[in-house]
Order: sequence, then structure tokens, then C-alpha cells
Amino acid sequence: MLDWEVIPIPLFGRKNKEKKEEKKEGVSEALKGVLYGFAVHGAATAALKTRMHMEHLFMLMTLGDMLGFPIIPPYYSLKILPYVVPNIKSWKERLFRERDFTDLLSG
Amino acid sequence: MVGLAEFFERKPNIEVVVFAGKGGLGKTTSSAALSYHMAVNEGKKVLCFSTDPQASLSDIFERDLFGKGVVEVAPNLYVVEIDADKKIAEYQQEIKHKIMDMYGLEELPKEIEEYIDSTSAEPAMYESATYDAMADLVASGEYDLYVFDMPPFGHGVRMVAMAEILSAWVDKITEARKEAAEYEAVAATLKGGMQTEDMVLKELEEIRKKMTTFTELMTNSEKTAFFMVMVPEKMAILDTERALEMFRELNIEMSGVIVNQIYPRDLLNKPDLPELLRKKIEMQEKHLLEIREKFEDLIAAIIPMYDREPKGLEMIAKVAEDLMNSRRDLLWW
Repeated sequence: MLDWEVIPIPLFGRKNKEKKEEKKEGVSEALKGVLYGFAVHGAATAALKTRMHMEHLFMLMTLGDMLGFPIIPPYYSLKILPYVVPNIKSWKERLFRERDFTDLLSG
Repeated sequence: MVGLAEFFERKPNIEVVVFAGKGGLGKTTSSAALSYHMAVNEGKKVLCFSTDPQASLSDIFERDLFGKGVVEVAPNLYVVEIDADKKIAEYQQEIKHKIMDMYGLEELPKEIEEYIDSTSAEPAMYESATYDAMADLVASGEYDLYVFDMPPFGHGVRMVAMAEILSAWVDKITEARKEAAEYEAVAATLKGGMQTEDMVLKELEEIRKKMTTFTELMTNSEKTAFFMVMVPEKMAILDTERALEMFRELNIEMSGVIVNQIYPRDLLNKPDLPELLRKKIEMQEKHLLEIREKFEDLIAAIIPMYDREPKGLEMIAKVAEDLMNSRRDLLWW
């Protein structure tokens, strides 16, 4: 199944923001951890993961019409397109990926 | 007030003049006439820009201007008749080459090429390209006065509404982009990597800057004037009313209404006046009264019906005269 189920964009944004708040806490916790010499890897991964979520959101906002969602006149989307070309594949793969219960475990 | 001369005396800082209204009522003629007057009689450097897909500036100036870029048709008078389809095609080509250069590709991935090509089918693409070209021209600041002949779609003012939406959109994604960049920075610091410069942000900032500057100019009533061109006919009256409503919604001040193609009323005194013409004049009279009732304070200029098509510099000079200092005898009230 599609994992995003045509969620309206503001909702999508809010959802991400909540996640971000959690992650932000995670990051500051981990920074403490750095001082004590452990948990560095986890924090970096968490930040990267949040980064990935935001990247997907961003791609949807700019190139939504690539998936058939007319969001904004593509005139300005095209200006952004060259910079995100390497991300298109992973973005689409993630959006159209089949999901199962293990996704719930990994978040 | 009758005649645009008075308007420009009151508002000496006008940089942009937009003529809006239904097709075929004299928008392009008015644009050409005002541009001619400002350039030739007042010595200002003027750019007359047609955004109409069926541009007729070529017709009026009796030269092929379509898609030819900026052409000087008289001293100080520069004219552009934009070929939006050509501009879009060039723009798409530019994006394709940019991608190929950036990633050292011999050819584009099929999916991306298809996406780029499909964008020309978007109706908004045409408007965006036109709006973008207008913004670029005004941003160049090369001219003292910009005269825009708006296409009939949505009275042209929809472009201003679109700019607001686009601007909000760019703000939103800029915000999202900045947040994303923060996380990337955190991850990079933790991993000891380098922070990559975000070219996307730069690009977005540029788009936003261009649009806000232009929208601010377009909505500043000291710098930009919007005139509706109409004729004494029922359809035109209804259309002007609708446009006024739209202007109000967008918080744009409509500077005035130009009533075009008025038959001289004293023709009615001629005993041998053909019946058809008499009927036509009587009909105009009825509608002029309605115009007076509805838009009296807004009537900025009145232009008579000419005995021939307003084409060529000589005729344009004549129209300019009527546009700037209208013949009062055309309005009998």
C-alpha cells in the first residue's frame, strides 16, 4: 500500500513537525551523550532520518505535480528540479513502497 | 477628470501602467498610444509590453515584433511582444542542459525528460512565464515607464493574485528547506562531515525576492496604475463591474476606466444620417448613461470612434492626443 494515503499537505507537515520535535530532543540528549562519550552514532542517524523525512516533504511541495498533484505552477518547480534530481528515485521508492508491520517497529 | 494627462500630473511617480479589459476593446491601442505619448512627447524611455497571446502591437506599429525581443519603433519607444510558447520551450531546454551539465549526463533520464516536457501542457505555465518575463523587465530598471497590455484572461489581475500565492509557497518551502538544512548540519557535525551549501535555498530566495519586489510594485498605487478599457456596450459594462470587484478583492486600486469607440453625438443632428448609425448612437447613449451612473468618478479618458483603424505612428499620435486630453464634447452631460 502507499504509505501516505493522500494525506492533505498541512497534516503531512504537522505530522512531520511533531516528529521533528521528538527528534530535536533526541538530538540534544545525544549531544550530552557525546560529552560522555557514547550514543553519537544513534543521534546522527536520527538527525539524518529526520532530514530524510523533511526531504520527502520538500520534494512533495516542489514536485508534487510529478505524482499528479498540481501544487504550484511548474514554472518555478523546474528551477528547483536540477538540484533534486538525485533524490527523485529514493523519494518515489519511499512513497510507493509496500509497508508491513515491521515498519511500525522501526518507525 | 477627463484625459490621462491630469492623472499623470497628480501621480508623477508612476512607473508601471497596466491596461486591462476584454479583448478587442482597445487595450493594445491604448497601450501603444500612451507609450507613444510618453516617449515622443515627454521624452521618457518607455517599454510597451504585450502579454496578449494574440498580440496586436505588431499590427498597430505595422512591424513584425512577435517574439523578436525589444524593438525600438520610435525614438525612446521600445516594444516587446512576448512569444510565451517560445520562452517556455527555451526555458525547458535550459533546465535540461543544466541537469545534464550538473551530473555529467549524456542524456536525461526518460522520466525526468518526460516531466519537463509535460509542464508545457500546464495552463498556469503560460501565465507564469509571462509574469516572470514582466518581472524580469521591470527589475532591469532600464526604462522610465513600463506599459503592460494585459491579456484578457481574468482581466490580467489574476496574475497579481498568483504572485501572492507563489510568494507564500516559496516562503513555506524556504522554511522547510531551512529546517532540513539544520538537521543536515547537526548530522554532519556529529559525523564530522562538511556542511554542503544548499543551492536550492539560494534559488528559492531569488524567486521570492523577484516576486515580492514585483508584487509590491504592482500593488503600490503611487507607482502602478491599472486602467480598464471598455466600450459603451452592455457586455463591457458587466465585465468592468466584475473586474472592479476583483480589484477590490486583491486590494488593488483601479486607477480609472477608459471609454473607447464613442460615436460623436452631434451626428444625430444630421438629417441624412443612416438609420443603422442612428440606432447605434442611441444605443451608445443609453449605455453611456449607465456608465456615468456606475463609474462616473472613475472615467479617466474617452476616446472617439475613428474613421479608420488606429494603425501606424500617425494614427497612434492622434489616439494619444485623445487619450491624454479627451474631447469633452463626446460626453454631453
